[in-house]
Amino acid sequence: MKIRVERDGLAEAVAWVARSLPSRPSVPVLGGVLLEAGAGDADTDALTVSGFDYEVSATVGVPATIADGGRTLVSGRLLADITKSLPAQPVDIAVDGARVSITCGNARFSLPTMPVEDYPQLPAQPSFAGELAGDAFGQAVAQVAIASGKDDTLPMLTGMRLEINGDSLTMVATDRFRLAMKEFSWQPAEGITEAAVLVPARTLAEAAKSLGSSGSNVRLGLASGDGLLGLAGSGRFATTRLLDAEFPPYRQLLPSQHTSRAVLEVPALAEAIKRVSLVAERGTQVRLEFGEGSLRLTAGGDDEGSAEEELPVEHEGEPVTIAFNPAYLTDGLAALNSDRAELTFTTPSRPALLKPADEDGKVAPGYLYLLMPVRLPG
Amino acid sequence: MRLVLARCQVDYAGRLTAHLPMANRLLLVKSDGSVSVHSDDRAYKPLNWMSPPCWLTEDDGENGGAVWTVQNKAGEKLVITIEQVLHDLAHELGAEPGLVKDGVEAHLQELLAEHIVTLGDGYSLVRREFPTAIGPVDILARDAEGIAVAVEIKRRGEIDGVEQLTRYLELLNRDPLLAPVRGVFAAQIIKPQARTLAEDRGIRCVTLDYDALRGIESDEFRLF
Repeated sequence: MKIRVERDGLAEAVAWVARSLPSRPSVPVLGGVLLEAGAGDADTDALTVSGFDYEVSATVGVPATIADGGRTLVSGRLLADITKSLPAQPVDIAVDGARVSITCGNARFSLPTMPVEDYPQLPAQPSFAGELAGDAFGQAVAQVAIASGKDDTLPMLTGMRLEINGDSLTMVATDRFRLAMKEFSWQPAEGITEAAVLVPARTLAEAAKSLGSSGSNVRLGLASGDGLLGLAGSGRFATTRLLDAEFPPYRQLLPSQHTSRAVLEVPALAEAIKRVSLVAERGTQVRLEFGEGSLRLTAGGDDEGSAEEELPVEHEGEPVTIAFNPAYLTDGLAALNSDRAELTFTTPSRPALLKPADEDGKVAPGYLYLLMPVRLPG
Repeated sequence: MRLVLARCQVDYAGRLTAHLPMANRLLLVKSDGSVSVHSDDRAYKPLNWMSPPCWLTEDDGENGGAVWTVQNKAGEKLVITIEQVLHDLAHELGAEPGLVKDGVEAHLQELLAEHIVTLGDGYSLVRREFPTAIGPVDILARDAEGIAVAVEIKRRGEIDGVEQLTRYLELLNRDPLLAPVRGVFAAQIIKPQARTLAEDRGIRCVTLDYDALRGIESDEFRLF
């Protein structure tokens, strides 16, 4: 293999692929990135950079001038560090026996290669299921992934459910204390009417972040038989294994009515929560006392110190006090991506619903964050 | 069990020699004949000791003191020269029931055996403490297809737990009536290294929720 490639494109591609590599690979070859130049197809004048650890695969193409095609496998972390620090000049990559040399300007690196034959076959891209704008996809995944469970005790809670129903796509995640859901329209592929899969939330969030920022469309692929989700956008392809678990029946959790409704200024409230929760020890609560046109936030107690702050608020309903985990409430407010929010609830022991709202206090459809209150003292 | 608090000096003569100068110490004389010399630190670890079988002889020393000589079959000697006895107490402790396995771990085993379907639908229990030549496996079960599954239970899942299960699996797989036997490593917390090693060896990792197994619902409000 002997090729010449632009430094920026190469560094970006290697960095993206190397990020999904395992930090402690059980087999050393899985810590490598596969470089393929003109592999098989004579008409593709490109270098393909790929990584795979049996869970997640990442593949990206980079334009290159190919003198001599071939494949080689080198340490991903090392190659990422090297390409990142190379000067802005064309990079020459050449394989000579069991070593690969990387030359850029006056800098020259020689790295040992790993046996390509031992590298696992990358999964094929699953069949096309539909597409949507990359930035919308990235934003939606970030808004929902925040509610996913972080601990492995209940594997289904570490996943994000993607539900396809014709031209509507629904994403849901929950950790039993909160639930985030986003519904929006997309362009499904022909013949795709209904499907539901559970994707590891952390993997999806990372993939969506890098694909979503590119400004083009993201194409989703599904191969339910193989348990794979494929993501593709702007020359990048990723696959992730699906979770084989049952997602809880979540629709019945969504409250159908409320007795209290408040419209909140998100930045002011988030700031205030941050301040008063300084006295709330980890895992405790911030109390929201809704009264006539005002919201009083309190936290802490006699032992650890207490804090309170008052904010103006539009509130309909009886005066009521409801308490939340401050971290979960702050997460929800941040995920709304809106300056105003509507909070609806019934009693201090029933779930509350947070939705983004516009200037007039009207709810913007599409997103909701369902949050369970915490027990009030006494 | 005899406890003597005394101002003493200790000399050991045997494969090596050691000397402890005159100071206040605790001497423990146990019913098995063993004698150990403790200072007021380092928890359970004595400064010097003689393991059984050994014999203690007490002689009078100078100025009303005493000289204890502890000797074993090899002729090694621990000589304790006592200047002053501060306290001398003997008490019959009776038989020791033995160390009980860590409560939570034993209870986890019991609970998981009761709720074996935690590992997957269709699982059935063969028995707890299934014997092998190198010790019992915590649980032997069969999955929905009837394939044998050996389960190792830990509170904290670390590398040595995976190694232990690997040894059991190797032995169990030699049994033509059981093979193939698959492994499940079940713990409340599984360290990332242990998980990597286990999965590399084809052992499934399961995180156990002790409270959920006990049927104790958290009193926190939850959506479901």
